[in-house]
Order: sequence, then structure tokens, then C-alpha cells
Amino acid sequence: MEYLLVHFPRDRRVLVNDEFNGRTEELIELEAGTHTIALGPPYNFTPAFKKIRLVDTSALTPREIDFDLAE
Amino acid sequence: MISLSKHSIAALAFLLLALAGCAHYPLNEPLATYQPDQGYRFPAVASGKNTDSLFVCLAFSGGGTRAASLAYGVMEKLRATKIVWKGVEKSLLDEVDCISSVSGGSFTAAYYGLFGDRLFSDFRPDFLERDIQGELTAKALSPLNWLRLASPNFSRIDLAAEHYDEVLFGGKTFGDLPAGRPFILLNATNLANGDGFEFTQDQFDFLGSDISRYPVARAVAASSAFPVLLSPLSLKNYPSPPGYRVPKDIANAQEDFYDNRRRYQWARNRASYLTQADRPYVHLMDGGLADNIGLRAIENAYLRSSGFIRTRLNEGEIEKFLIIVVNARTQDQDALSRSESPPGLFTVAYKTATISLDNFSFETIEFMKELQKARKQTQTTLSVCQQKLDACPGQPPLPKLAKSIEPFVVEVNFEALADPVQRQYFLGLPTTFALPREDIHALIEVGQTLLDADPVYQAVVESLRLPAP
Repeated sequence: MEYLLVHFPRDRRVLVNDEFNGRTEELIELEAGTHTIALGPPYNFTPAFKKIRLVDTSALTPREIDFDLAE
Repeated sequence: MISLSKHSIAALAFLLLALAGCAHYPLNEPLATYQPDQGYRFPAVASGKNTDSLFVCLAFSGGGTRAASLAYGVMEKLRATKIVWKGVEKSLLDEVDCISSVSGGSFTAAYYGLFGDRLFSDFRPDFLERDIQGELTAKALSPLNWLRLASPNFSRIDLAAEHYDEVLFGGKTFGDLPAGRPFILLNATNLANGDGFEFTQDQFDFLGSDISRYPVARAVAASSAFPVLLSPLSLKNYPSPPGYRVPKDIANAQEDFYDNRRRYQWARNRASYLTQADRPYVHLMDGGLADNIGLRAIENAYLRSSGFIRTRLNEGEIEKFLIIVVNARTQDQDALSRSESPPGLFTVAYKTATISLDNFSFETIEFMKELQKARKQTQTTLSVCQQKLDACPGQPPLPKLAKSIEPFVVEVNFEALADPVQRQYFLGLPTTFALPREDIHALIEVGQTLLDADPVYQAVVESLRLPAP
């Protein structure tokens, strides 16, 4: 399995391929491959989503991605 | 007069042929509107006594009445196993969240899904102890059905589905399945590509079809349509309804040819139904051709980001995760080895199909065990590293998984029997829909004994045991 860590200034649920799969600042366990990552409401984050290729990670070296607070 | 008789005979023959041509299998219905949150999908909310924190899935293998009886024995044992979870006393059966099944195991799964505890009073006389095979043969040989069977659009599997509806399922459809748990996954095999086919609305979305009005008996018939003995069961593939959009994990997975071939193939097979013009019909056979254990659907739910197990793991809702595989596999190659003459065509065809099935089933179980083991190793690695970091003041903590889980995989398998005579007896039972009562009784008993004797099951039950009075 692969591991993803999503950063955002607020605690927020994380959407993986349109399904809730955990929260920000927590390790999210997923299978390898292409995934579309977004956050749950409120929609005050940017970008609206990130499409990533999740490969070659481990629980100690997860893929880390950031979302910013929208102005 | 003679001339008139000839005309009469010709007219009668024409009428009979016309009637034969009229016979058609019941068509699945088109989906009027696409509603991804509606229909027969894994229930979003646990209901009644069932929690998400103790998540239990059962996989029932194929093997005719042998498999159905073994699965029934395990269900009786689960019902008799009293536990305490989150301060509530209940049976372990109350915590079963999903049952995935193929072929013979699908009868037990579907009956429990539709009728709940009636399984324990009615299923033995209504199915296990009946000569279903003889009844199917009688139907096929009845002159009343000859004309219907002469139609190219009505075959033995449709007769079988009618019979299952009459004697077992009472005309119930997927819309009649209770909204709560367990979620029943009846599995068949698409004859065109050998891929598994799950009778759920998620799968029917790709056919542009509504599963809610589809008879459960037909799904069970497809799941148990053993090659040659029974004909394939057909579904119509409709154009997608307005507003339909391909699920994002399916769309993304089709880019994973190099990164994750399993996910890529899963997505490609499902998306292929969307080329409706090229594939206006789908022909299904025994689920055992794709996976004779019924574990594949559970594996998908564990791996895929849209899977009902994966989402609950990542959301931190599951604490204990138990999979019980009820494997009624037999082993009759010794009979082959005792013969000087090479086996005949039918035996070779049968063995060619079933040997690969059994090997594939073995790999599926081992893969699921490895996934669970990998999860435990990850949790241990994170825990040990965090302990070492704690010794270095000022270091930020490692990120954590939503929750550490306790995963367990149990396999009920005749090969676990220590007594060689008993083991050989069960491994030699045939795959048929007619077994003597003493065999059925023995299978029910041994299902309970094997489950009780499994060390992983014992550990699970011990951790959930009722406190001593």
C-alpha cells in the first residue's frame, strides 16, 4: 500500500477520488496509482483539487501535498 | 380430409414454433435516473446492533450443496457465539457487515440476506435437504417446458431461476433486501472477459440498469451456473441514463497501466460495459470461474479508494476487522492418479477449469492475508519509530494512521481436519445440488468444529468474550 499526507491550515476531511478517506495531517493508506485529492467543505481551499501519482511511498516517507486557504 | 389434417398439423406446428419463439428470459430493467447514493449499495449507516468498529465480512465459496451446508454451519456457529462489544451483549452474527459469495455459497448468503433468522428454521428443509438437482432435471425433461427451451432466448438457467424463486426466494427482488447489514454480494463471472460480476447497483450502473427490480433468484442462478451443466444467464446492457458520470476512481485507474496493473484491469473491465453499442448483452456464468472463494469483492472493497472497507479504515471507523473464508474446496485428483488410462474429454475439461480455479482461490486468500499482515507491520513500524523519537526531546511526532486496527483472517477448510479419515471423507464429497441428509448434517457440524478450532478465530472470540458471571 501507499501513504498520503495532506496539509492544510485547518483540520479538514480529505476526499480521494470523490470519497471521504480520512483527514488532513493523518496518514491515508491507499493503493498505488493515480488519485484525485480534494478537501471536504467549507470550500475555502485552493487549488480545488490535485491529481497525483502515488507510488514508492512508505508510512515513514508518505507523499505530502498542500492545500492553501483561499482568500 | 387428409389434406385438412396436413393443414392442421402444419398450423399446429407453426403455432408451437411461434409459441417457442415467444419464450424469453426476464429482462433486467433500464435505470431511469442516475442516483449514486441510492439503490442496492453498501449501506452508508450501520443499523440495529451492528457497529462499524467491529467489522466482519464472510466469504462463501462454491461447491453446490456441500458449500451451502458448510456456510450454513458457520452461520449457526456465529449465531451461537456470544460476545460483548462496546458494552453490548450480542452474537457475533449480529456484527456481520458483508457476505460475499459464489455458486453454492450464494444460496445461503442470499437466503440470509432476504429472510434473516428464518435461515435457521427453513433453509435446511427448503434447500439443503431437497433434491434440487433432481427437480431441475425433471423440469428440463417436462414436455411442458420443451417448447420454451426450444426458444433461443430461454434456456436451462432460466428454468433453474424460476425454480429457485418458487421453492426458496418467493419472487423477492434486490429492492426487497433489507436496508441494513449484512450487505450481500452475489458474484458471477462475465463469460466474455472472465471478469467477476457483482450483483450490486454499483455494477448495474455500468449497464444503465436498475437492480432493485431484478429477482434475487436470477442472481443466485447466475452465480451458480456451472459450465456445461447449466447455460449462461443473460442481461441487457442499456445506454447510460442522463447525468451519469464515470466514478473518479474508475477514470483515474485507467491511467495506471504501469503503476498498478490490478487496479487498471479492474477499472478497464468495468468501464468496458459503457461501450454499450459494442456489448448490448452480458452473459454470466458461475462466479467460481473468476473467483471460487467469493473473496475478490471483499478484496476490492479493501483496496479501492471507493471501497466500503477502505473508506471506513481511512476514516478511523474500524477497530477490529475480521474476514472468515468458508472454503468448501475438495480434492479428488487421487482418483485420477489411480487410473492407468488417461482421463476422458469431459474429465479433462472439468479439471482444466477447476484446477486453475482452486489455485487462483488459494492465491486470493493468501493475498488477503498478506494485505492484513502488511497493515499490522505498518502499524508496528510507526509505533516503534515513535517510541524512539519520543526519546529525542523537541522532535515533532510522526503522522499517524486514523486508527490502529486488529486484522484477522480465518479460513474454514476441510484440509485443516487432523483426522485423515474424516478429512478424506469431506474432501471426497461431490459438487451437486443433492446430498444425502447424513452428509449435510456432517457438513454443518464440521463447519462449526473447524471454525471453533481455528486459532485466529479463538483469539478473536477470546478478545470479545462475555465477562464471567
